Amino acid sequence: MGTVRNLLVAAVAVAASLLPAKAQQLTVWHDLGDNGVKWFEALSAEFARTKPGVTVRSQSFPTDQWFGRVISALNTDTAPDLVFNNYERVIRVQTQTNKIMDLTALTAAIADKSFLSEDDLRVATFKGRQIIIPIQRVQMAFGVRKSWLDKNGGKFPETWDEVKTLAAAFRDKDPDGNGQADTFGLALQAAKPRDLIHMLDLFTFGSGLRHTLIDPEGKITIDQPAHAQVLEEFLKTYSTYKFVAPDTINHSFNEMYQVIEGGRGGMFRVGDWNVRKWDGANVLNGDFVSGPWPKFAADRQNAVVIGGMRGVAVPENSPNKALAQEFAAFMLTKAAQQASLENVGAGVRKDLDVSKLSPRSQYFAKAEHRLAAYDFPESIHPFYPELEAAFHRKLLAGISNPPADWKAFIAETAREMRELAAKLKG
Amino acid sequence: MNDRAVNRPLQAAAYAFAILTSLLFLYPYWWMIVSAFRPTRAIMSAPLRPWPETLSFSIFTEIGRIGGVHLATYVTNSLVITTLSTLLGVIVTALGAYALTRRPKAPGFALIRYGFLVTIMYPYMLLVIPVYLVMFRLGLLGSYAGIILFLALGPLQFFLFEQFFRKIPPEVIEAAIIDGASEWRILTRVVLPMAAPITATVALITFLLNWSQWFPIMVISRSPDTYTLPVALLSMNSELGSNFQGIMALAVLTTLPITVLFLLAQKRAMEGMAAGAVKG
Amino acid sequence: MNAFFASLARDRVFYLFVAPFAALTILFGVWPILLSIQVSFTASATALRPNPSYVGLANYAAVLADPLFLASLWRTLLYTVLSVVANLAFAFGFAVLLDSALLRRGALFFRLAIFLPVITPDVAGYVVWRWLYDRSFGAINAALKMLGLPAFGGLSSADTAMLSLLIAELWHHAGFYMIIFLANLAIRDRALEEAAQIDGATAWQRWRYVILPQLRPALVINTVYALIQFLKTFTVVVVMTKGGPNDQTNFVSYYAYQLFDQARYGEATAMATILFAIVIGLSLTAYRIGDREPGQ
Repeated sequence: MGTVRNLLVAAVAVAASLLPAKAQQLTVWHDLGDNGVKWFEALSAEFARTKPGVTVRSQSFPTDQWFGRVISALNTDTAPDLVFNNYERVIRVQTQTNKIMDLTALTAAIADKSFLSEDDLRVATFKGRQIIIPIQRVQMAFGVRKSWLDKNGGKFPETWDEVKTLAAAFRDKDPDGNGQADTFGLALQAAKPRDLIHMLDLFTFGSGLRHTLIDPEGKITIDQPAHAQVLEEFLKTYSTYKFVAPDTINHSFNEMYQVIEGGRGGMFRVGDWNVRKWDGANVLNGDFVSGPWPKFAADRQNAVVIGGMRGVAVPENSPNKALAQEFAAFMLTKAAQQASLENVGAGVRKDLDVSKLSPRSQYFAKAEHRLAAYDFPESIHPFYPELEAAFHRKLLAGISNPPADWKAFIAETAREMRELAAKLKG
Repeated sequence: MNDRAVNRPLQAAAYAFAILTSLLFLYPYWWMIVSAFRPTRAIMSAPLRPWPETLSFSIFTEIGRIGGVHLATYVTNSLVITTLSTLLGVIVTALGAYALTRRPKAPGFALIRYGFLVTIMYPYMLLVIPVYLVMFRLGLLGSYAGIILFLALGPLQFFLFEQFFRKIPPEVIEAAIIDGASEWRILTRVVLPMAAPITATVALITFLLNWSQWFPIMVISRSPDTYTLPVALLSMNSELGSNFQGIMALAVLTTLPITVLFLLAQKRAMEGMAAGAVKG
Repeated sequence: MNAFFASLARDRVFYLFVAPFAALTILFGVWPILLSIQVSFTASATALRPNPSYVGLANYAAVLADPLFLASLWRTLLYTVLSVVANLAFAFGFAVLLDSALLRRGALFFRLAIFLPVITPDVAGYVVWRWLYDRSFGAINAALKMLGLPAFGGLSSADTAMLSLLIAELWHHAGFYMIIFLANLAIRDRALEEAAQIDGATAWQRWRYVILPQLRPALVINTVYALIQFLKTFTVVVVMTKGGPNDQTNFVSYYAYQLFDQARYGEATAMATILFAIVIGLSLTAYRIGDREPGQ
């Protein structure tokens, strides 16, 4: 068997040596689809001005494939030059591989970075290691289909009660006028752990609370009155209120987007990266308006949520590590950031030209409303992903089989989470 | 089959059932084709519409690039990978099955056969990591060679050949041996000419089956550069959402060529598959 | 010993013939399976490193203590039993119908219609089914609504998700089992039936005592194939439900695959090994039962 193996290896080596030598190429793996690919093409052209002969090739995978592929590639020393994704996903890659490079020194050497706040860099740091260079702030607002809103008074809903009234109207009053009862108040998602909890995060942080499940000291927060109120209303939205499509429990973001883009859902999450597509004539044609997430109590401040950072990371076993770092630093330059804003709808610099953007994109680019950031429990509690997965399962069970008493359900959930957190900590 | 007169009402019921079931089985194809020509919003508001509002092929340019790779690359990959793995599979399996049937008691042969039988029982979607590691150690990760080698073997193909070689009358081969023919000569001049029809059947079946493969290809690939159409179809969503009409268009593209091939050779394909299974 | 070497020498050329087949079987079958089993005894964090640390049966203990896995295993078995029965019953019924004198004209069309899904790439087929089932946008519910019937929960309801997968998989696989029944029906000895008829046997008796025993081979083969097929159910879950809703379709293959994605290699391969043992055990049992002569 060893001989066969050696023969095969030799054969492949010979075959490989016969291939023509290529100009230097950097490979980036991301999950941003074709807009992302276009963005990296623009970056490649720009980068080649200072680095002639270097091309940057990006490849997009569906998010779950991206995970599996990056983790196994890093673990087997077959890594790409760079990876690009949300901060919390890079953390997961780091915990599974321990092969994401510390970019502290690289960042320190960048002169033009005053636009990165301390908070931004803190978010980029995991266990004392700066694992990404922040490239795009991820902003998420609450969106309403404008034409439907106009038929129902035209006032953007500020409070949760207003949202509920509007959701019922969107469901019952045939807002699209097609004569069929086929519309829903909200378009949400729930299928995978990050889907449901992500939605809960938005309602929680957007309504002015600071923690979804656990605070930095490790205390479970979900049964504190203010939190319990949001959680109960959130769960009812999926179940007893009948505000969402019946199969929402199976919806991940793709299906959620179908409901939104297919003209069935009236209120939804708007991410800064969605706007470009939704402005398109065949999609929403700009028929939506963004604002902060609803208030659950008059004395709290609501906000648009910063769901962290998308950034670029360099694997320790990147084939062209030095060049990859140069490119990572380049992604913060003004030209690169302008391309990011225009292709993917977000950036981190404050000196970008937003005049060419649609009003809906400008809402994000200019940060017209108060912003509230996630608390990033995974950067403080290493066991958080497992706790969250259990939390998700519990909530899903509740939604698919709604209890008579949600308050008791929340109390019971809190108790179970405390037990699990204690166990995972130990 | 019987001389008795056919019971008319019973016959009418049988036809009604068979026609209804067949149409239900075919409906997904029709829906897929129609949806490939309808904008996403139209499909969603009137899913039952039996034909497209307008006939426009623009969707195929819209999905001209998926995940940073050209659609043409996926099509080429599908053709190349399926064709080469079929060729390789037919040759390797024919030789292997021939040797194993001619000399079932040769030392090690039973072991090889059992190794093969066990392999086809393994839930191969769970070979992700080990296959990935094997490919990595062999330096085949992300290469066409790795994908083609992995797809070459399949149970039906092996059983078909094995069954055929078992049925060759021993006298034919003994006569050739007495005439002083070498084993190589027996193979090329006696056995292979007899095996031409079965070889064609195996090639056809392997092609049909390998065209549909997706999981091993996804695992062995290092990037979408070596994806085939089914893998591309499964990868047609991203953080920015998915193109529903595009998915249907790609589904049509994935299904159509293989359906045409099958219909052209349906008799051979169905009889071959049944025969391969019956002896397995 | 000399005889042994002599036989080796005589068979040399056959070793040459079998070499490529053996190489592929070992490299891409036996070796990965052994590796997978090896990984199931290592700590996940070190599994892919050159010197993994071995943890004995810890992964198996963890897996067997995991209520989610046990639930998943139970659902997999339930789904397998239901699928095997449904597929074989449908395939058998349709094959008998096609074989009978009732459908002389158009039999080829019916056979092609049922068989076509078998060669259709499963990913493409399931992508279509996934949308046919959709509660809000799907053709199935639109049709039910048109007919004034209550909506079908499809993939979105915990009660109907497994049934929905079963139907989609039946669409994809049943044609294969059908042609095997048909092949068996075609080679049966019709003289026996005529003899039975002359002896005054009723139609039922002819079926029960003359035809059915002759279909034993197809029944055994189909059972074994279907068992292996449905125990390994995977693609349909990936495309249509991702294990949901509420884990109702989270079968062992998919659950293990999810653990792979979380880099829990040790537990994932332990699950794979357990499922492998079940597949082999059940298939061998089915063969045994099938091979036994009636009355033995």
